[in-house]
Amino acid sequence: MNKKKYLAVALGLIFCVGLAGCGGDSKSQKPDSAKTSVKKVVETTDVATKGEKKDWKIAVVVKDSSNGWFARMEQGVKQYAGDTGINAYQKGPASTDAAQQVQVIQDVINQGINALCVVPVDPAACDPVLKEARDKGIIVITHEGSSCKNVDYDLEAFNNAGYGAFIMDKLQESMGGKGVYTTMVAHLTNASQNEWANGAVAEQQAKYSGLQLLDNPKRVESENNSEKAYQVAKEVMKSHSEVKGFVGTSSMDTPGIARAINELGLKGKAFVVGTGMPNECRSLIKDGSLSYITLWDPAEAGYAMCVMARQILEGKKITDGADLGLKSYSKLLQSKDNPTLFMGAGWIAINKDNVDNYNF
Amino acid sequence: MNLQKTVKSTEFYVALIILLLCMAIQMKSGQFFTGNNLVDVVRAFSVPAMFCIGEMFVIITGGVDVSFPAIASLSMFFVCSELEEVASNPLFFFLVAMLIGLAVGLLNGVIIARFRFPALIVTLGTSSICFGIMQGVFKSREYPLCEPLKELGEMKLFSATNPVSGLTSNMPVAVILMIVLVFLGWFILNRTMLGRGIYAIGGDVKAAQRSGFNVFGILLFIYAFSGCMAGLIGVLRSTMLLAVHPNNLEGMEMTVIAACVLGGVRMTGGKGSVLGALLGMALLTIVDNSLILLGISTIWQKVFTGAIIIIGTAASAMQTKRNERKLAIKMNEGGK
Repeated sequence: MNKKKYLAVALGLIFCVGLAGCGGDSKSQKPDSAKTSVKKVVETTDVATKGEKKDWKIAVVVKDSSNGWFARMEQGVKQYAGDTGINAYQKGPASTDAAQQVQVIQDVINQGINALCVVPVDPAACDPVLKEARDKGIIVITHEGSSCKNVDYDLEAFNNAGYGAFIMDKLQESMGGKGVYTTMVAHLTNASQNEWANGAVAEQQAKYSGLQLLDNPKRVESENNSEKAYQVAKEVMKSHSEVKGFVGTSSMDTPGIARAINELGLKGKAFVVGTGMPNECRSLIKDGSLSYITLWDPAEAGYAMCVMARQILEGKKITDGADLGLKSYSKLLQSKDNPTLFMGAGWIAINKDNVDNYNF
Repeated sequence: MNLQKTVKSTEFYVALIILLLCMAIQMKSGQFFTGNNLVDVVRAFSVPAMFCIGEMFVIITGGVDVSFPAIASLSMFFVCSELEEVASNPLFFFLVAMLIGLAVGLLNGVIIARFRFPALIVTLGTSSICFGIMQGVFKSREYPLCEPLKELGEMKLFSATNPVSGLTSNMPVAVILMIVLVFLGWFILNRTMLGRGIYAIGGDVKAAQRSGFNVFGILLFIYAFSGCMAGLIGVLRSTMLLAVHPNNLEGMEMTVIAACVLGGVRMTGGKGSVLGALLGMALLTIVDNSLILLGISTIWQKVFTGAIIIIGTAASAMQTKRNERKLAIKMNEGGK
């Protein structure tokens, strides 16, 4: 009996510490808006800043306010606010947590906003609160949330096949237009990464006859683990010495393959291009083991959502080919299956010349 | 150990399967017994093999520990992200990580040994708490590795270059630690009273207690040891990755437990050896790192891996059964 009492006290203590930790977190998210000076992080045209009224209030809610990716997105939102004078701001939970995010969304809805842009942690968990927002007449736009139902529009950075083709363009350039390559995904069951890889292969077959896809294995798995990516890349190059290029799709693939190339002594002979995060890949890019990392710029995505929100608020209808006044979002592509889904061409490639411009 | 006894052991059959598999890979690709490939396999083997030692102790006592990947990840992320500015000596990072691991391991040990809760549930709980703290409090994310650890990671014992293809592989320094840890595991289990106690508890807790073993102390030790080593291995892993990937080790507990069982460590406790666990891990590592050399397409790799695991277990299980039957016959004959 005594033992159980001790245990109950111990568990109670752990619980209290946990609660205290959570409480501290939610408070720390408050003081973050509009203090730093506005930096120009994305290029825009007149279309982006043009409009009739200025007294709109636009809130952007992201997955995690502490994350470097969304810190970059906030720079875009702040630039939009600075460029137009519209009250646009970004909020987010202190950690990637669906329940906390719903709370943040509820808070901003009560702040009398006109438009709400959301990067949902969990689209299904968000849907009820998004419905609440729409019932109040708030325009709702999501990013990376094409499965949300209660939205006016969903804006994606790119279509999957186009992104794959972009990776291939860069790989082709790095390989000097000839050689054998293969593709890597986290899992064969991952929908978007396989669409990227398929897009890359389709681009190569349509445009680059000097390149050739390895016969077996055509596609390998990294299990979203950079150590596994490293091992698999080494194994491929051991058993198929003709392989000179890799398409990496997950952000774990690309640095793993680059480490293998570096260690095998194939720098400058074998190449990898794929999704990657600048901070993580910086040293590999600089030492030449990694040719390009590809991704989309969150600052541009944040800016684009605000432009789209204002256009809708001012009665403009978004159609196929719409222009948001940003380089990557100058000609939106409307999805054939889902009329509320629009895609930009928001990919960027980062190599050793511009990697230091990105800090996430 | 005489020949007849060797032939009857689980270890012998796992070793035999490894040998056959290596021959098959060598015949198919001609790459297996090259210096650089062997270095790659040893490298891939090192981290899971170290986890095997701690896990084996726990399984021999009749428990199971599924918290070590979480402990390793938490300690790794904490020291790499929070102590970056504090120290420049890599030893300091390892020491702090080991202390964190030790603390969580002791928590596991106290709850399991004192209150006799099922080890699986307790370690599942601490695992969840560790991942939770890492994600909630320390906001885990991919993180660049600090300089002192990076330098350590870039160090190598030697390089093996393939004379034909010119491909090079580096042996990481982590391998030294693996050898030390394996020796330590072997020594504790076979040459100390503590080792006897571990087997005794796995055989029968009550009997162990009555024959004078400090059951609480021994159980506390093995969970603390497992946690402490997990902290160390976590940092070691990040030096091998040259980056901090908080979710890199998730899911490794299943591989490690499978390797132990494959190598003849009995889940119900009381039986197992360092050699067996390592052979089990070696088999899994070789399979995992040779599927492309064997030319098996990605779609069929999982099927092949599963088949090897079942064949490996079946061979040794059948042998055990045969031994038991022989023993039964002998006893019957003796009774006449």
